[in-house]
Amino acid sequence: MDFAFTPEQEQLRQEVRDFIAENVTDSVRAEVEDAMDEGHGEEYMKLRAKIAERGWIGISFPKEYGGQDGSRIDQYIVEEELARVGVNVGLSGSGGPAILAAGTEEQKQYFIPRLIRGEVTFALGFTEPQAGADLAGLQTRAVRDGDDYIINGQKMYTSSAHYATHIYMMARTDPDAPKHKGISIFLFPMDTPGVTVRPLWTIQNDPPAPMGTTYGMGRTNETFFEDVRVPASSMLGEENMGWYVGAMGLNLDRVGASRYLISVRRDEDIVNWVKENEFDGHSPSEDPEVRDRIAEMWIEAQVCRLMTLRSMSIVEHGGNFTYEGSAEKVWAPEHGVRTTEGISQILGPYAQLLNGSIGAVEDGVFAHNLMGSFQSGINHGSVQVMRDQVARRGLGMPRG
Amino acid sequence: MAKDPVCGKDIDEEEARQQTGQTRFGAAEVDPQKGTRRFHNGTWFYFCGLECRSKFMASPDSFIGAGSS
Repeated sequence: MDFAFTPEQEQLRQEVRDFIAENVTDSVRAEVEDAMDEGHGEEYMKLRAKIAERGWIGISFPKEYGGQDGSRIDQYIVEEELARVGVNVGLSGSGGPAILAAGTEEQKQYFIPRLIRGEVTFALGFTEPQAGADLAGLQTRAVRDGDDYIINGQKMYTSSAHYATHIYMMARTDPDAPKHKGISIFLFPMDTPGVTVRPLWTIQNDPPAPMGTTYGMGRTNETFFEDVRVPASSMLGEENMGWYVGAMGLNLDRVGASRYLISVRRDEDIVNWVKENEFDGHSPSEDPEVRDRIAEMWIEAQVCRLMTLRSMSIVEHGGNFTYEGSAEKVWAPEHGVRTTEGISQILGPYAQLLNGSIGAVEDGVFAHNLMGSFQSGINHGSVQVMRDQVARRGLGMPRG
Repeated sequence: MAKDPVCGKDIDEEEARQQTGQTRFGAAEVDPQKGTRRFHNGTWFYFCGLECRSKFMASPDSFIGAGSS
């Protein structure tokens, strides 16, 4: 067992740092972060194109679909360095891995290169008002009609529906089958007639979360489907096998570093803040309680990082990936909540001041992270569901 | 005109579904102030807001029949 990065991986990390120093200017960062709630802007797309030119996006995807046939850990190194400056170069969630695993050749040829280039982005259409933790209880229906399906129903918390190009969604294709067995997945453009988006505003909306907030978005949506006609070729995987395709995609996506990467910036921001500020001639970093608390957060973050790298290592070596992603999906969000709470204790009453308030620390970024951190334990599989998966798949316990 | 099956308020279905904007890649957007809806057992039900819809979802059978679709 070797926990070290190879010399080539260390060199890659340095190359990414050099690239960032040269290309990720303050103005680019401002545009990237300002545009986050409305999707990516022009500056981000230019930056993403430069990153893609270097072969740094989708490194682990096959070359025939625009990737590099490279290492997932190399991809992680690129993502980790860019996360430090707020630049996300992910592939729009679990859709990419699911397409690669279950898509037709035509779907792979169409979607994967475009995901890598950032030309296609997915809104995730799984959750419904009554079907979140109990996702298999979803009621959106897709009925076969000749060469098409007609979809009726609605999805909840489709967070990027207002700027995504496509939706990656589940619908019930056999209402008489047991609930996990009558579901199929569809991929189709957001501008398909009959798709309607209704905005929902979150606690991060008013006042707007400042630059550097890593948790939560100001806007999410509910999305309605009313007699939406899509070709049968929009289906991903076999009919009625969508539950398993979707679960596989979510599991593969949990291997990704995104959960850990959310914490990188927040943890580093507070370390920098306590080192760079002085009160009455003293730095908070001289306070033993502050130092202890921050050291504790850092140790927790390293557990998170090691769990992420272990999962990637299992995938790299072709291992059977079962409960590891679920374990990460418990640890990372709960670590996030603990650290945002710890930061609020370090900052005292100032930690509660939101963006725009007089006296708000760093424009309220820590307060906004505190509010938004709880969301991370709910979306893409709640920590309760993840614990159940660890118990069953990892520890061999019966279904509860 | 539909009726919110929970509070009984009249809901204009056409207004609730009327396009008032467009997402970046072309989906219709509606005004969130005009209520919301729910596809339940093959039928659309209309609500004045999320609170009524949540009550409906907790116990749909107790409200069905009170509203129109």
